[in-house]
Amino acid sequence: MATLSVQSVKKSHGAATILKGISLDIADGEFLVLVGPSGCGKSTLLRCIAGLEELDSGAIVIDGANVTQSEPRDRDLAMVFQSYALYPHLTVRENLAFGLKMRKTPPSEIVTRVAEAARMLEIEPLLDRLPKNLSGGQRQRVAMGRAVVRRPKAFLFDEPLSNLDASLRGQMRIELMRLHRQLSATMIYVTHDQVEAMTLATRIAVMKAGELQQVGTPDELYQHPANQFVAKFIGTPEMNLIPADDARKLALVHSLPDGTAQVGVRAEDVHVGHGVGAADAMVEVVEHLGWEALVHLRIGALALVARMKDPPAVGARTSITLDAAGLHFFDGTGARIFSSNDRASAQRARP
Amino acid sequence: MLFAPAILAAHVVLWHAYRGEEERALEHVVKTWNQTHPDETVDAVAVPYDAYSQKLSAAIPRGNGPDLFIAAHERIGDWRASGLIQQVPESADDDGYLPETFTPLHDGGKLFALPLAFKSLALFYRRDQLAQPPDTTDELIAFARQKRGAGKYGFAYETADFFYHAAWLHGFGGKIFDDGIPRLDSPEAIRSVEFVLALDREHLVPGDATHVLIAQLFNEGNAAMTIAGPWFTGEIAPGVDFGVARLPIVSETGKRAAPLLSIESVFLAARAASSQAALRFAHFLTGADGARIRAIEGRQTVAARAVWDDPRVKDDPILGAFYRQLPDTIATPSVPAMALIWEPVQNALRKVLRGAATPAAALHDAQARIMASIHLLPTPVSPLPYAIALGVFCLVALIYLSRRAASRLGQARKQRAAYAYLAPAAISMAILVFVPFAVGASMSLYHHQAGRFTFIGLQNFISILSLREIPITDPLSFYFTLGVTILWTVANVTLHVILGVSLALLLRNPLLKLRGVYRVLLIIPWAVPNYITALIWKGMFHRQFGAINGLLSLFGIAPVSWFSHFATSFAANLATNVWLGFPFMMVVTLGALSRIPKELEEAAALDGASAWERLRHIILPLLRPALLPSVILGAVWTFNMFNIVFLVSGGEPDGATDILVSQAYRWAFVRGSRYGYAAAYAVLIFLVLVIWSALARRLSDKEAEA
Ligand SMILES: Nc1ncnc2c1ncn2[C@@H]1O[C@H](COP(=O)(O)OP(=O)(O)OP(=O)(O)O)[C@@H](O)[C@H]1O
Ligand SMILES: [Mg+2]
Repeated sequence: MATLSVQSVKKSHGAATILKGISLDIADGEFLVLVGPSGCGKSTLLRCIAGLEELDSGAIVIDGANVTQSEPRDRDLAMVFQSYALYPHLTVRENLAFGLKMRKTPPSEIVTRVAEAARMLEIEPLLDRLPKNLSGGQRQRVAMGRAVVRRPKAFLFDEPLSNLDASLRGQMRIELMRLHRQLSATMIYVTHDQVEAMTLATRIAVMKAGELQQVGTPDELYQHPANQFVAKFIGTPEMNLIPADDARKLALVHSLPDGTAQVGVRAEDVHVGHGVGAADAMVEVVEHLGWEALVHLRIGALALVARMKDPPAVGARTSITLDAAGLHFFDGTGARIFSSNDRASAQRARP
Repeated sequence: MLFAPAILAAHVVLWHAYRGEEERALEHVVKTWNQTHPDETVDAVAVPYDAYSQKLSAAIPRGNGPDLFIAAHERIGDWRASGLIQQVPESADDDGYLPETFTPLHDGGKLFALPLAFKSLALFYRRDQLAQPPDTTDELIAFARQKRGAGKYGFAYETADFFYHAAWLHGFGGKIFDDGIPRLDSPEAIRSVEFVLALDREHLVPGDATHVLIAQLFNEGNAAMTIAGPWFTGEIAPGVDFGVARLPIVSETGKRAAPLLSIESVFLAARAASSQAALRFAHFLTGADGARIRAIEGRQTVAARAVWDDPRVKDDPILGAFYRQLPDTIATPSVPAMALIWEPVQNALRKVLRGAATPAAALHDAQARIMASIHLLPTPVSPLPYAIALGVFCLVALIYLSRRAASRLGQARKQRAAYAYLAPAAISMAILVFVPFAVGASMSLYHHQAGRFTFIGLQNFISILSLREIPITDPLSFYFTLGVTILWTVANVTLHVILGVSLALLLRNPLLKLRGVYRVLLIIPWAVPNYITALIWKGMFHRQFGAINGLLSLFGIAPVSWFSHFATSFAANLATNVWLGFPFMMVVTLGALSRIPKELEEAAALDGASAWERLRHIILPLLRPALLPSVILGAVWTFNMFNIVFLVSGGEPDGATDILVSQAYRWAFVRGSRYGYAAAYAVLIFLVLVIWSALARRLSDKEAEA
């Protein structure tokens, strides 16, 4: 297993700059999830690490060795593609064995390692089938098996679960966590999916238009988004953003730090109908999610979402309060304003 | 028509293949006749030369033919035997024809045509290079020695063509037929070949000369003399001052070289509707009045004696020269056996000139072949057993089909509209494919000679497949040719695939600039009609003037006589066909490559595969299924690639590079119209390809399973 370091990587395709200087250090055994809107350059970054794209500038360092100029085959990384990229003319067994064969592994070892990987991913009954005779989920496992069997320095996943249905995705997520624990491998994982990012990651890196916005644990990103973009991107439903003027006018907050342009508050920190009613809101829509519900509220021109167990009826008027401890303050550029809340949680986090 | 006095008016239809001034002169004669004979009008119809004799033999027996037709006299024997022509009554006017042009129009003592014009070879020379043409071969050789130089010749002609060689054969005292029997290996004949061999060895004439090359050499002043016929005047560049003279006297014998004489004649077709009127016009056309117009306007060397008193004709330097050559010509024998002479003698000439045999040995061999082919007449058999077998087969097939049809009739009713839509295609398929196929297949059970088909059962097949008549090492043997054909197919398809795939892989490289341009350039060989390419490559492989030997000489390699040896001749064919065939495979491969996801290669790269391993383990296996159908189809095309073999090597040496189809063609059109034998070849080719497609189907089924 290995550490991996991306150093000021820049990459452009023709006139379009895709990566604008990305620096990222990934520790040994870390599960780093890369998220960001479509087209922000996640796949490109992954391909740069794998060696499938040449860098314009910057460096890729694996285990202390600069591999920027190395061929993909010499980097000893494994990649699982969104399309799986299984070799269609080879059986599952041959697909798994291909990488080992190319690296001149002794045949007896190939057999044991293929068997081991097949057992781990529960694809033993499929070993003699061709990829075209597998279901989507099975192909996914084979693609993973092909990476696992090689025992590479690090795994790169490019949205590996995006072609699966919701329940299968859930299952595979658990599988991936187990795999990560079993192998204690370094993994970089690209996804669109919030839940995947939050559940799998030891750290998440948020990208936007070729730039890193924030890198941190899921908790850090959720609790202390570095800017408005991260705040909105992480967490479902999106964080409520209230313009500072509205917040003041409606007396939703008591005091604002200097320079605050927007106040952010997560749905669970919006409380309905109890305490000292600060603002009068109307219930527009209620989304029932089972054990809780999302309540869409309107105060004049302002729309807010709250999360609660016992939602009021649609059309009802109710008063709302914001949990003061759950407030996030952003300045005019969207950057976070360090506030007392942060200090409080920082103290809480201290052992 | 109902009201016209149809009985009185005769209408004569005349077919001809004339063009240019000859056609205009003929039309003038017809017009003159029609003005004075309004009740016996003549209609001259120009028929393309290519299919002329096929048209005649197809139209005349069915009553759709002309009353008169113009053709060379050589096929009198054939046409008489097949009943295409009628006897022409002799008349008092016949004295008016030059006897050399009139006598050969008889067959078995009966007259079958009236002579229009005579055509033979003569000596063409450039006046700027020699004032006086040589009158003996010694003079000719002396002049040629003096003129000899790099790419320059005093004398040049198509040495390997028997049509030209016949002049020397006669000059040395030889004969093609002696008492009706071919006699190509007489001492005189051998001497004549030795004479030409000496010319060639001394480089007094260019080797492997073709018609086009001769014209070029002559026009550029690199050949001072040549042997050619009247048609050559049309090929001489304007401004070249040339003269025509008689061929020289062979110094060794004192006899003048005597070329073959071809007499253009007008024939009275069998089943002519108005033969009396037709004959009257034929006499007018061939007689002094018609001949004068044809000689002066059409520049024909006419057969009417009276015209040669006219100074405009007699003193014409070209017409006059051919007239003076006439006494020293030999009319081309018109017996059917003449058709069997050409190929063996031609092969013998080529063999001698490329040093593969002595004149005596080559001619003895040719003589043996000719005699064998004359005596190879199979015995007719009764068609009854075959008819019964066919009947039984048809009955069984009918029962089988009707059983199957019955079970599907209900279904068919429901889909009546679909069947109606299919019907036109099915019917035209039946007419255009199955009928010719059936006719061809049944023809293989017949022997054809002189327009008559005799039923001989399976004897053609037995003769082809048994090794009794032709040993297996002989290029004419079916097995030899089959072996060559398979070698040809395998070599071609292999090279097509290797080259096509390699180029496609190169073109795929994203770093390659101007990819689109290369792609178009590489497809061009495919877009050019293949016979043009074939002729270009044939020229490039010419021993003396070809580009390939020119290139080799830059590296100090001696000129290769490409068509003299099997391996080089085969290689020349192969090179041409590979040039023609690789673009198709390249295009197919490019298409298949674009369907292989890029990620597969990337995955393999990450898996540790080098570029070569990615090609070998990922790309090539994925190309296979896409290439397989093209390979199967390409194999069939190549198996039957007639054009290239026929045009480039022409089967040389000795038919060794012929493939089955070109061999079948030769049996049908070169070796005495043995249509039945050729049809049997075609049936065998068909069977081979049926076996191949069955194999190919298995192969592709297996591929589909995998
Ligand atoms: N070969 C290329 N040539 C030009 N532009 C490219 C090329 N490959 C990617 N791009 C552009 O680079 C940008 C980033 O692409 P990339 O595939 O890295 O996005 P992504 O973050 O993976 O998006 P998604 O989540 O949709 O997969 C996109 O705007 C894309 O159009
Ligand atoms: Mg992507």
